[in-house]
Amino acid sequence: MTKKTLIKMSETSKFIDILEPRKGECGVFRFMSKAWYPKRTQTLDKINTPQDIKDAAAASLYMEAIIEAESSKTGASKESLRQEVLQHIEEIALDKKMHVIRWTGIVALKVAFKMNIGIYVNEPAVLKVKSTMGNNPVLFLPTHRSYADFCILTYLCYHYDIELPAVAAGTDFYSMAVIGQLLREMCAFYIRRTLAGAPLYAATLKQYVRTLVAKHAAPIEFFLEGTRSRSNKSLPPKYGMLSMSLMPLFARELADVTVVPVNISYDRLMEQRPYAYELLGVPKPKETTKGLIKWISSLNGHFGNMYINFGDPISVQEYLKQIPYSDESLKPIELQTLSPEQFSQVQDVADYVVGQQQANSVATISNLLALVLMESLMTQRALPYEEVLVEVERMIKVLRSLGATVFEDDVRKNVDRVLVVQDKSWTLDKDRRLRIISSEVIDVTDELKNKMKGHTLKAETMVNAIPIIQVQMYVNPMLHYLVPSALISVIVQRGPHTRDELARHYRRLRKLLRHEFFHTEKTEEKTFQDAFEYCVSNDVVGVCGEQVSVGGSEGARLRALLARAVWPALTSLLLCADVCTELQTIEQNQALKLVQKRAESGPYHPYCLSLDSATHCLQGLVLAGALTREKQ
Amino acid sequence: MSAGTESSPKNMSGDAKSSEQAANNVKKTISDKNNENTRADTVIKVKKTIPRKKQDLLKWYGWGYKDSMFTLNGDAAYFTGQRYAIGEKPLPHLKQWAYDNFRLVGDTQPKVPEPPTSFPESRLPGNVRQELEKIAPVSVEGMDRLIRAHGQTLKDISCLRGNSFPRIPDAVVWPDSHGQVEQIVQCASRHRFVIIPFGGGTSVSGAITCPVKEKRPIVVLDTSEMNSILWLDKEQLLARVQAGIVGQDLEREMRARGFTVGHEPDSYEFSTLGGWVATRASGMKKNTYGNIEDLVVQTKMVTPRGVIEKSCRVPRISCGPEWEHVIMGSEGCFGVVTEVTIKIRPLPPVTRYGSLVFPDWESGFYFEWEVARQRLQPSSIRLMDNEQFRFGQALKTESSWGGVLLEGLKRLYITRIKGFDPTKLCVVTLLMEGTAEQVDEREKKLNSIAAQFGGVPAGAGNGERGYTLTFVIAYLRDVGMDYDVVAESFETSVPWDRTLSLCRNVKRRVREECEKRNIAHHLISCRLTQTYDAGCCIYFYFAHNTAQCTDPVATYEEIEEAARNEIIASGGSISHHHGVGKLRKKWYTDTVSEPGRLLLLAAKKALDPDNIFGVGNMVFGEDGGEDTLVKSKL
Repeated sequence: MTKKTLIKMSETSKFIDILEPRKGECGVFRFMSKAWYPKRTQTLDKINTPQDIKDAAAASLYMEAIIEAESSKTGASKESLRQEVLQHIEEIALDKKMHVIRWTGIVALKVAFKMNIGIYVNEPAVLKVKSTMGNNPVLFLPTHRSYADFCILTYLCYHYDIELPAVAAGTDFYSMAVIGQLLREMCAFYIRRTLAGAPLYAATLKQYVRTLVAKHAAPIEFFLEGTRSRSNKSLPPKYGMLSMSLMPLFARELADVTVVPVNISYDRLMEQRPYAYELLGVPKPKETTKGLIKWISSLNGHFGNMYINFGDPISVQEYLKQIPYSDESLKPIELQTLSPEQFSQVQDVADYVVGQQQANSVATISNLLALVLMESLMTQRALPYEEVLVEVERMIKVLRSLGATVFEDDVRKNVDRVLVVQDKSWTLDKDRRLRIISSEVIDVTDELKNKMKGHTLKAETMVNAIPIIQVQMYVNPMLHYLVPSALISVIVQRGPHTRDELARHYRRLRKLLRHEFFHTEKTEEKTFQDAFEYCVSNDVVGVCGEQVSVGGSEGARLRALLARAVWPALTSLLLCADVCTELQTIEQNQALKLVQKRAESGPYHPYCLSLDSATHCLQGLVLAGALTREKQ
Repeated sequence: MSAGTESSPKNMSGDAKSSEQAANNVKKTISDKNNENTRADTVIKVKKTIPRKKQDLLKWYGWGYKDSMFTLNGDAAYFTGQRYAIGEKPLPHLKQWAYDNFRLVGDTQPKVPEPPTSFPESRLPGNVRQELEKIAPVSVEGMDRLIRAHGQTLKDISCLRGNSFPRIPDAVVWPDSHGQVEQIVQCASRHRFVIIPFGGGTSVSGAITCPVKEKRPIVVLDTSEMNSILWLDKEQLLARVQAGIVGQDLEREMRARGFTVGHEPDSYEFSTLGGWVATRASGMKKNTYGNIEDLVVQTKMVTPRGVIEKSCRVPRISCGPEWEHVIMGSEGCFGVVTEVTIKIRPLPPVTRYGSLVFPDWESGFYFEWEVARQRLQPSSIRLMDNEQFRFGQALKTESSWGGVLLEGLKRLYITRIKGFDPTKLCVVTLLMEGTAEQVDEREKKLNSIAAQFGGVPAGAGNGERGYTLTFVIAYLRDVGMDYDVVAESFETSVPWDRTLSLCRNVKRRVREECEKRNIAHHLISCRLTQTYDAGCCIYFYFAHNTAQCTDPVATYEEIEEAARNEIIASGGSISHHHGVGKLRKKWYTDTVSEPGRLLLLAAKKALDPDNIFGVGNMVFGEDGGEDTLVKSKL
């Protein structure tokens, strides 16, 4: 058995392709049918079956109290409410059928081979997490960039003999024929996207998740970002699911909960084209089983690698140090809910975890190549192959100096590999210059027009924008390394500033872009400090006494790179500000349309057409107090 | 796919919030006036029996429901309305009884007062009122203020009927949550007005009557909107309830769910949980469910110095003096009780009534004592003296001839065969709860103890009537007042060894006081209503015809004061469950000792230094310090 191993800078990271050992004849079947004794997350007196957990949730004092309250509020009979709760639990709850898991594993592995996928896992990090398991519940909190995220950790856990995680999935899967049930039997549980207007459902979900965390001996996996990030960069976290999961800790039902940030990066996102369309406002089709089968059968070719990195396990108890007293503890333990202070602690944990997901991201050759490609697109100069390699090396240096983990062993080999993986998007022309492949012509039918979420873009705009947005999609995950320095650089380019002024402008911009470039407020002081030092030492800016001004020629290329990094976002922000200033009061959807319309009509970066960015910028303006939001 | 769900609709903006925004939200939620209620989804909203405009349902000039009262000016006396078992049925013996005892001839029109139309001007400044209105509903209407100016003492009712209160509150405010109460108390501290917490208005100690000399505006904090059940724990048999819930609402909600609180003071149709705590109340069924101090697990009280509440919900604690007991019985002088965690019990499958007849008071008394010594008390066990027994007979409705025959046979058996003297015999009524087995066994044991003291079982019917009459008796005073008879009850607790002499002495003293004043027609009667290991509770009823009196209320009060002096001299207490209030101030210090008095003053200073809760009960004077007037009197 040969193992493709790659040694990285840090001694604690060692990325290994866990699919490699399966590639032999009948390796798949034997592996998927092996006797399996997984490591559990907690040692409980009794191993609870999925049914036990459902029963415990349904029979809880909390559900009883909710039914009483609901019945007194609406007059509905308690019996009918009890039935309703049972239905909700059936809708939500996971099941576990090992034979289903094993057979699905076989099929999935076959598909994976067809797709030529590699799953690179930071093995020491996984083993470290595994070694700390056994004392309390563990939450796996991965980034969410692709549907592939759903199965990947389950397979990883099977591989490393860790009890299969209970995975939170959206109800769009639940409604899919066969697949919904299949995923459920592979330990998925379903949650609705919105809880508004369904208090009984909300309460049932709350109780189920709480019970699951406390009584299930397997990791609980959910996506803090709440949805696949279409832009391939971190979304600000949602707090609901984490609140529910940490409730047993806040109620002191448990002494601790371990949280594991997980980063999953892709050489190529399977959904990159639909994402690009969605960013422009073309809605995604509804998930159907038929669509899925069609899609799977189209998955021939080279999809490249995915890289899974586990962050250090975080003891929530240790992280929070002190959980403030709340008079909630005077309630029966099962009825205890989060106090406002505790909720803000949950927010703190969530923000921190998203930061850790970023910190554990892996810069892949796709990202580096995208950075190079974007630069060549902006300077409108297609780079010859050899120059591309040099530029990629340069990007590696820049990113490493900014603290990124770069996954590479042999640049040339990997660039060649990625060009195969991305052969539908990026290619070398006959002169061996790197170019993007323009998108197929889009037929903007009336039906499509009606469906479009934003402004009705011209077919031409979309054709031009799609390939560039797809490049930006791979630039985006790198931006959190670049943005702090980039903001310093662009502020200083407007004229000399004192350090204090610079810091003030920086803070304001960071706030305005908080949703576009998510970051934790807590560490901002240090981030600014580091970025400033970086800028100074790389000649991006120069310091003369109190004054900070533009640096010398040595930093010119870096300044250009940095400026490009934040250019689309700053443009979007400006467009949003313009639109809102002119109209005073406007519906959010209308504002988004107008921003998109302007972005289309002007000489702007095509990424400014992204509804995602525009939404984030509007939120930033609200956050900064420039806009106020009124609910209608 | 999405794994992000929001914890509550409030966070449902769909956008993640920045920490700054979140921090603002936190601040906002903390100061949110409904803090706890908005967070909890387990709140059971309770339908109120008594509306905010109490006068729409309740009698403004007396006790209870408007539609329920005794009438004497027909062929036969009867009790109006269908709310009680004796409702709308002729009471053929009552008129005769009233004539025999008070020379009351119910032929004349009753003197029912007209609702007053003029009231003292509200002294609450407009700006303060506006500030209060931002927190909770406020009223300065005369009638709203008048009916919250008093409790149910004879003096209160007399002032009410004559619209002659020297001072009534200047406004009424109806908070619906702990948070609102906190804001109101803060507002009071800022603007220096007085708060009088008001629950059901059934106090019989003068505790909620406005202090006459108070110069500051007085705002009545009516707790009746705070009537939700915040949570219910059917496993641990606990409920967290807002303190303004009325007894009958609380009991109805619990019974609907198969539980009972079991706290049934005679006022429980109208009195509130917070009121029970503030007066250290006792219920009829305390033998099974306990008095309020046994029922309460935890209280939350807003004082001008902040909220006092234990930080843990534990069954018992050894942590210095128990401050719950400072809150309990604080009579509105330290703050407002907003929330209470109380014990609940599963509803008993069987409730059975019983009665026993004893030849005289003494044998009945020794029976009660023996039952207590063996700790065999059923939920309720009461001994009525002969006067009360006869009054009970007077309240009998006409029943079918079969019933009459049976009653006749029973009487025959008791008076002729057993040889009981009808003018001496006494009755014990029993209320037994539990499984059928438990009840059978208990009844058997009680009967056998009764036999040792010459007691004879007298059937469930007599027992049941005794208990159903409990709630009707309170209506008698109103009809008395309509015909110039004043009536009042007062109670005490006393050790077993001094009980017989105390009852004898008090009755004698009252009779002598009446003779001194040429009051020919009066009634003094007592019953033993609660028993403990170390003693019992005695309830006296006193009524007299006021035809000879120039100031009936003053006369009555003099006699009651004499009776209380006699009680205390005979080893009884200031009160078993009615509290001190203003009526019994003068005996407070002697009861608790001088250091005890100082301790109470210190508690006041600690919790309410500005005398916001300046209702002036127990030792407190108008300024929140000691009541110098009372002291100099002593």
